[in-house]
Amino acid sequence: MVREAVARRLIEPEVAEELRTPALGGGEEPPTGVTSTQPAVSNARLALLMFLAAEVMFFAGLIGAFIVFRLASPAWPPPFQPRLPVGVTAINTVILLLSGLTMRLALMAARRGKPTRLVQWLSITALLGTVFLGIQGYEWLRLIGFGLTLSSGVYGATFYTLIGCHAVHVFGAAVWLIAVLLQARRGRFSERSYAGVQLCAMYWTFVVGLWPVLYGLVYLS
Amino acid sequence: MSEAATAHDAHAHHVELGFWRTYVFSTDHKMIGRQFLFLGLFMLIIGGLLAMMMRWQLAWPETEIPLMSWVPEPYMYGGILPPQTYNAFFTMHATIMIFFVVMPIMVGCFGNFLIPLMIGTRDMAFPKLNLLSFWVGAVSGVVMLSSFFVPGGPAASGWTAYAPLSAQAAFTGVEWGQHLWIISLIILGISSLMGSINYITTIVNMRAPGMTYFRMPLTIWSLFITAILLLLALPVLTTALAMLLFDRMFGTSFFLSQGGGEPLLWQHLFWFFGHPEVYVLVLPAMGVTSDILSTFSRKPIFGYHAMAFSMISIAFLSFTVWGHHMFISGMNPLLGTAFMMSTMVIAIPSAIKTFNWLGTLWGGSIRFTSPMLFALGFVSNFLIGGLSGIFMASTPVDIFIHDTYYIVAHFHYVVAGIIFALFAAVYYWFPKMFGRMMNEPLGKIHFVLTYIFFNCAFFPMHFLGVGGHMRRIYNPMQYEFLQPLQGINVFITVSAFLLGLSQIPFLVNFIGSLFAKKRAEKNPWQANTLEWTAASPPPHGNFDAVPVVYRGAYEYSSPEVKEDWLPQDRQLATTSTAARLH
Amino acid sequence: MMSWLPENVSTFGGEIDYLFYVIYYITGAAFILVTVLMILFLILYRQREGRRATYTHGSTALEITWTVIPAIVFVGLSFASVSSWGKIKSHPPPPDVQLQVTAKQFNWEILYPGPDGKFGTEDDLQAENDIYVPVNKVVHVILKSKDVIHSFFLPHLRVKQDSVPGRDILVWFQAVKPGKYELPCAELCGFGHSGMRGWLHVHTPEEYAKWVEESWPRK
Repeated sequence: MVREAVARRLIEPEVAEELRTPALGGGEEPPTGVTSTQPAVSNARLALLMFLAAEVMFFAGLIGAFIVFRLASPAWPPPFQPRLPVGVTAINTVILLLSGLTMRLALMAARRGKPTRLVQWLSITALLGTVFLGIQGYEWLRLIGFGLTLSSGVYGATFYTLIGCHAVHVFGAAVWLIAVLLQARRGRFSERSYAGVQLCAMYWTFVVGLWPVLYGLVYLS
Repeated sequence: MSEAATAHDAHAHHVELGFWRTYVFSTDHKMIGRQFLFLGLFMLIIGGLLAMMMRWQLAWPETEIPLMSWVPEPYMYGGILPPQTYNAFFTMHATIMIFFVVMPIMVGCFGNFLIPLMIGTRDMAFPKLNLLSFWVGAVSGVVMLSSFFVPGGPAASGWTAYAPLSAQAAFTGVEWGQHLWIISLIILGISSLMGSINYITTIVNMRAPGMTYFRMPLTIWSLFITAILLLLALPVLTTALAMLLFDRMFGTSFFLSQGGGEPLLWQHLFWFFGHPEVYVLVLPAMGVTSDILSTFSRKPIFGYHAMAFSMISIAFLSFTVWGHHMFISGMNPLLGTAFMMSTMVIAIPSAIKTFNWLGTLWGGSIRFTSPMLFALGFVSNFLIGGLSGIFMASTPVDIFIHDTYYIVAHFHYVVAGIIFALFAAVYYWFPKMFGRMMNEPLGKIHFVLTYIFFNCAFFPMHFLGVGGHMRRIYNPMQYEFLQPLQGINVFITVSAFLLGLSQIPFLVNFIGSLFAKKRAEKNPWQANTLEWTAASPPPHGNFDAVPVVYRGAYEYSSPEVKEDWLPQDRQLATTSTAARLH
Repeated sequence: MMSWLPENVSTFGGEIDYLFYVIYYITGAAFILVTVLMILFLILYRQREGRRATYTHGSTALEITWTVIPAIVFVGLSFASVSSWGKIKSHPPPPDVQLQVTAKQFNWEILYPGPDGKFGTEDDLQAENDIYVPVNKVVHVILKSKDVIHSFFLPHLRVKQDSVPGRDILVWFQAVKPGKYELPCAELCGFGHSGMRGWLHVHTPEEYAKWVEESWPRK
């Protein structure tokens, strides 16, 4: 029987890829009123969306804590604490936002099946991300030099944890991006198969989109 | 394909994969489910023994605990429990029971085992992530247990780890024990995150043809909602834990007032996670209970949609009630009023569920099997736990009973009451998991003893609480107003020991049945859901052919067929049932 | 169950106990209703040869009934609780006596303002664990903490309030019966949590005057 053959093929141990595909009906038509099982969002995208939801909650916790401290202190920054580099970081914000744009361009290139363009835009995105991290790192070193540390009250502590957590995320996203870039250079993606770029772009967009929120809260408020 | 052939097939695959990939680093959701079960049962024994030692201390304070004189100083002094160790024990008892017993078994084991089988697919969406989720969880368990062996002993600031007590080693005298506690829970958060992403993706994308959302068994609904709650609540705990660890290790002062920090922030963050967590624990128990009650009443679940929607509303509301743990914390009294209102609202869906369970029994043809008895036990305990919760929802009453044994009684009726659903699920799905039946008479003895001693152990705690007996105190005899209540403490302790001993029939039954000769049939309970159409135990890949679903999960005693059950995947000549239902 | 409640000796304790009773009877009735029905159903609808279970998916009317009735009860309970809560927590009556209680591991530090009624002056009197107050007078306690969170619990007065480091929290009560009442700590505060307790001495006016006389002898 066809069904048995399908079943036998599917229960082979090494066919993990097969196991991931949604179950097939095997010959019989489902009765009326029964929905198709073709998923609207692929497993990987759905999983990444879920992960991003968890990330949002993680940052919501940190931001909530920040707001509690911010509202509770009469003066912000507290006396004798260095001011944050608002101007430089504004430029840095623009750099990161630009990288979000170039990532969209990379994704469009992937969608249209233009491998050279894809590699170019991915490289520019990676470069912008690295520049962002570099400037952030430099500013951190300067702030530590001015005496702003984790243990200098909640001002320093919230700054380093919030901005640091974001920096770790940018770093992680950049590593992922570089991995995708290397795959792109080897010509792994085509018009029909560019899920790797798509997922990475989703994550990059999250990391970029989060930044203006943090910048507004931590630097401008 | 015949059953024997399927079993042979499965066996053949095991040989192909070898020992390590079959039993240890398996990507098969059923094996991962079994691994979670064994992890949970092992931890249950540890958590239970800790409780026994605490109960001894409470009944006969500062006397030698039998068989414990070997424990070195300063953890015990000739078998006598010092206050520091007592605090460590109740901290670890709660932590282990919540994070390493109920979560691994109800969510980890039954989630993994049942989701693909009940929605009719061959495995989880991400089998390797699933494997990783278990082993990360196991590492977290090892880290937690290792804290027993570091200098200073394990964490001793309660499972709620209220800052600043938990935020500086000097306050409890525990240095690495608390560090490891925090690190272990952060690791566990990662494991749960992987698990919940996997559950949600699987349920959304991989249901069998015809398995619409509103044909899913309520077990699946409950696990789906649980996964969403875990996904959204645990990251907030991770945030709080990271901040706590920074306070302890890197000199920040998030929760320390002298550095400008805010101690109450910890409670807000913790309970923002903590209250959804309560529903993470209890929702799967509710789902499992609904399915078992329906199966053994031979009757459709009463108000299926109401059951599903009440779980959804519980999920939403559970993010709005965290402040009811903090009525007397010094929080603004107006917030207290707001949280009382939301708490009263969240009680409504729980009431609906209880009445719907009653409705399911009404007019049934009830079979008193072991799983059914335990499911009924869960309903009875949840009833008591739910009703006692209304007392503390009322803010003025909470002033008196907060932090007393009334609270201890309440959450044991709810959370320890889950153990009844847990046993119900083990007895019910054991044939599917291990291909053997459990012994029925032993199961019934287990139920009767457990039910009696559970109530004898936990119900009198209400009296202690009403008498003002504080929780987490080491020696009640130090207080004059508590001395007349000491008889209750002795009674509770004796009952708790008997409750512990009542688990022996279960252990004997469980281990004995694993090696029983007689194999279980495919569908020993004549149930409707898809897992019973697979072999017992199902082979790698679960189904001979992926089933097609024609109806909901609860078509018992349907007039359309002669038998009193109608499996979800059976195609009738007329599909009018399906049409009528949807 | 009510006989276990410690004797109430505060003005607002009666309201708390009253609410406790109301909820006790409501939940008790619900408990009996559900349990009796459950046992009845288990007996009536046990499996018997030749009888088939009723095939029904539910009843909208019934489900609405048992959604609406609990909802009304819960809303009612909320409103019944709001006024007592506001009275106890938000609107304390003006004080007759004021004192500061500072919790620390593992004692209560009591600070009396002395005859001038002001804290931080020379006639302040500091003591450990023993609080002396007159009967039938409104007492304001400013609750502080030196180290971790403790909880100021007077079971006989139905008073409980966490003390939080960095905050001054106002607690008030008015005892109606002279006597000596225990003051345990109700929030885990470290290895000495159990046994951290003080005493509240509620004095008759004469006793209280005598105590004041002894504590602040006239020069």
